[in-house]
Amino acid sequence: MFDNFDLMVAALAEGMWTTVWVTLTSFAIALVIGAILVIMHVSPAAPARWAANAYTQLFRNVPLLAVLLIMYFGLPSIGIKADSWVWALLGLGLYTGALVGETLRSGINSIPLGQAEAARSIGLTFGQSLGTVILPQSVRVVIPPLGSLLIALVKNSALVSAIGVTELTAQSRRLIENPQSLYNLWAVIIGVTVGYLLIAFVLSFLVGIVEKRTAFVR
Amino acid sequence: MSRPNESTVLFDALGPKGRRNSNIASIISAVVILGLLAFAAFQLNTKNFFEPSRWINPLDALVVETTWIPAIQGTLLAFALGSVGALLLGVLFGFGRISRFALTRWASTGYVQFFRSLPLVLLIWISFTIDGHFGFTTETLGWTNEARRLTFLVLGLAIYNGAVLAEILRAGVAALPPGQAMAGQAIGLRHGQVQRLVVLPQVLRNMLPAVLAQLVILLKDTSLGYVITYPELLHSAKIIGNDYSNSYLQALVIAALIYFVLAYALSKLVVLAEKGLRKKTAAPLARVKQIEVAAVAE
Repeated sequence: MFDNFDLMVAALAEGMWTTVWVTLTSFAIALVIGAILVIMHVSPAAPARWAANAYTQLFRNVPLLAVLLIMYFGLPSIGIKADSWVWALLGLGLYTGALVGETLRSGINSIPLGQAEAARSIGLTFGQSLGTVILPQSVRVVIPPLGSLLIALVKNSALVSAIGVTELTAQSRRLIENPQSLYNLWAVIIGVTVGYLLIAFVLSFLVGIVEKRTAFVR
Repeated sequence: MSRPNESTVLFDALGPKGRRNSNIASIISAVVILGLLAFAAFQLNTKNFFEPSRWINPLDALVVETTWIPAIQGTLLAFALGSVGALLLGVLFGFGRISRFALTRWASTGYVQFFRSLPLVLLIWISFTIDGHFGFTTETLGWTNEARRLTFLVLGLAIYNGAVLAEILRAGVAALPPGQAMAGQAIGLRHGQVQRLVVLPQVLRNMLPAVLAQLVILLKDTSLGYVITYPELLHSAKIIGNDYSNSYLQALVIAALIYFVLAYALSKLVVLAEKGLRKKTAAPLARVKQIEVAAVAE
């Protein structure tokens, strides 16, 4: 059970670290994409709305693994090459961006119509009513669902193991498929499980703190 | 005048000048978006993405017959079996979480929390790997390679999505007004009868959109069969790509398009279900909608 235990823990910890930074970086990309999408969604220009809608539909109906494989295995065949971690961040970011956009949009929609009407009736312009009345309220509404998106992204990030990024899942695979079988199978399985539970637990805790800070009574 | 919706109330009704500005903005955004698309298409064209010779091989009649059709069948088979398994497990553990017996509640909560926090790809791959570490493998039982891969893919899909569906159903039960169960008890139904005859039918109806949305995700997740080389669409695309290395990207794009068509059709069903089945419900609509939004994150 404890063959090469310290080596195993070191390898899994390294994988956990990769999982965490891939998750957080791609979530930052997703937030930017989601913000752009939601601006396009509420904008008065119809073509912008159509484009945002097309983007969202595309990424909501194609598996993430397909996106990653197209980038990593497909694009090099027409001469577009990059490191696997670039594709991992880009793929996770583009895919999650569509989900973030939908979440932000439902946040804006959840603000009662009366709020916008009140803002308009005291003479605020489009930008003012959006910036000082609607957005500050909807940002707070969307924090819990954004938190669940972040935690779901931890699980989705396991898919980048398929394009050669050595995050937690890939590390456990490497340990189990070790040709000299230096590591105990069950120890690795328990280790990788604990690793994911730990990441999810810590992130939920942090999201919980942010939620409490931003909670307000309506 | 019709009731304004949230996206129009932010603007004034536009005057002639405003309309002109808005039209100009529309035209500019259209030009920018079309320009970006044209630029991407031009770049792809210079890299020979649209070269007909690269599309002919993966769309050859023989390849369609021997690879794409079985791949679609494999995907749909895994989806069908996985959905049935996930729904059964979801109902079982969803109602287990609100059982009268503490032990059942704890066990169900443990199951749901544990499997919801693990990546599905890890679940599928580990169950495939530990096969053979119990002193026998499913191979010695006379299972074909194909059957083993299908089994572990479906097992993973059912276990993971079962946990998610259990949460959705539990939330649906919580959203139902308690008066419904009380009314059942008042006319003398036993606990099991109340759950089976009063609660479950309403929960299933209210939660149908959320459940179907989760099934769309399950359909997309069948692509994870790729990691255990189950012959679904992505794996088949890779095989075609290996045979015709020039068409690697094209094969993957075709696979992604097929996934898109399947998932899009299924998600249109969700919209239909929302329209049709919302009419008869005792649960407040806003609450049901909230659960759905939360479920999308999974």
